[in-house]
Amino acid sequence: MGEDPIYSPFFGVMGATSAMVFSAMGAAYGTAKSGTGIAAMAVMRPEAIMKSMLPVIMAGIIAIYGVVVAVLIAGELTATGYTLFKGFVHLGAGLSVGLSGLAAGYAVGAVGDAGVRGTAQQPRLFVGMVLILIFAEVLGLYGLIVAIYLYAKK
Amino acid sequence: MLSTTTYAMNNSPSYGKYYYGGLYSLLSFILTVIVLYYVLTGRGERIDIGWFLSETSPYMWASLGVGIAVSLSVVGAALGIYTTGTSIIGGGVKAPRIKTKNLISVIFCEAVAIYGLIIAIVLSGNIESYTQSLVDTDDVIKARNWYAGYCMFGAGVTTGVVNLVCGICVGQVGSGAALSDAADPTLFVRILIVEIFGSAIGLFGLIISVLLTSKAKMGDKN
Repeated sequence: MGEDPIYSPFFGVMGATSAMVFSAMGAAYGTAKSGTGIAAMAVMRPEAIMKSMLPVIMAGIIAIYGVVVAVLIAGELTATGYTLFKGFVHLGAGLSVGLSGLAAGYAVGAVGDAGVRGTAQQPRLFVGMVLILIFAEVLGLYGLIVAIYLYAKK
Repeated sequence: MLSTTTYAMNNSPSYGKYYYGGLYSLLSFILTVIVLYYVLTGRGERIDIGWFLSETSPYMWASLGVGIAVSLSVVGAALGIYTTGTSIIGGGVKAPRIKTKNLISVIFCEAVAIYGLIIAIVLSGNIESYTQSLVDTDDVIKARNWYAGYCMFGAGVTTGVVNLVCGICVGQVGSGAALSDAADPTLFVRILIVEIFGSAIGLFGLIISVLLTSKAKMGDKN
């Protein structure tokens, strides 16, 4: 479907790149922000460190969303026979998972930082932190869903 | 007269905070004027992204990819080392025992720069020359070379920017680890786990770059 100009793989490659780059930005922010919170509260309550690893793991999962979509897009790239339709669809898929991953990682970082610091002082807050983190993580999942739906278009 | 001059010198407002906003506004104004000039004088179709992508040489894309891969990775590693290094030195004033163990954080940041170096070397090994006459006649070889150029650019940008953010992240966490280590020596190893998660992000970027590079093949062969 559609024509096959020589520059259409550029958009596909940019889709794979943006999927990985933006979700990595979100994951890095989430890891750094919650990691700083963990380091700060560890001095007061070292026994709570392993429980507080949860925001860091969830930030890593956001990076994995980006990796999955980037691998899927890169697997479909070809030199010839790659239509402009495919190129733009892959660009859309990459941008959707990447930018939602960026936002989700930002949210996970901020909530994780506040959550681990609060849990150190009041252990009953842990369940609340988990619930809020799940809602933040699911934002990245929405991006992944749209990316997969776009990617599967013929 | 002198008193007003000294008053102005001591209390003059600083306009430096408008630097980035001013630069961004100037650039977007120039871009808007250029685009409007083309559009309003009936030459709108000359703004052609497709023409730009197909007329630029794949050597440009590939070389930009190589340059961006190593340079942005090194910037990320440098920012990380800057953050974690200052914290190690600062914390080490009261607790000098932390200085040797916390070099691990610095090494994690350095590893980010090495990832970028590896990808840049692999990418630059992929750059090969093609004969122009063959490219002008054979569409398949032209498509293959142009595709290789785009892939290498994408691989380079992926590695560069992902390592940039990974280096900043590892530096931040390393800084926290150094200060926690200064307070309580048993904490360092557990906070190192967070640094490992941060390092994994750089590895993801490396995987995607290698995947993109493996598809790129420049040269004369079909």
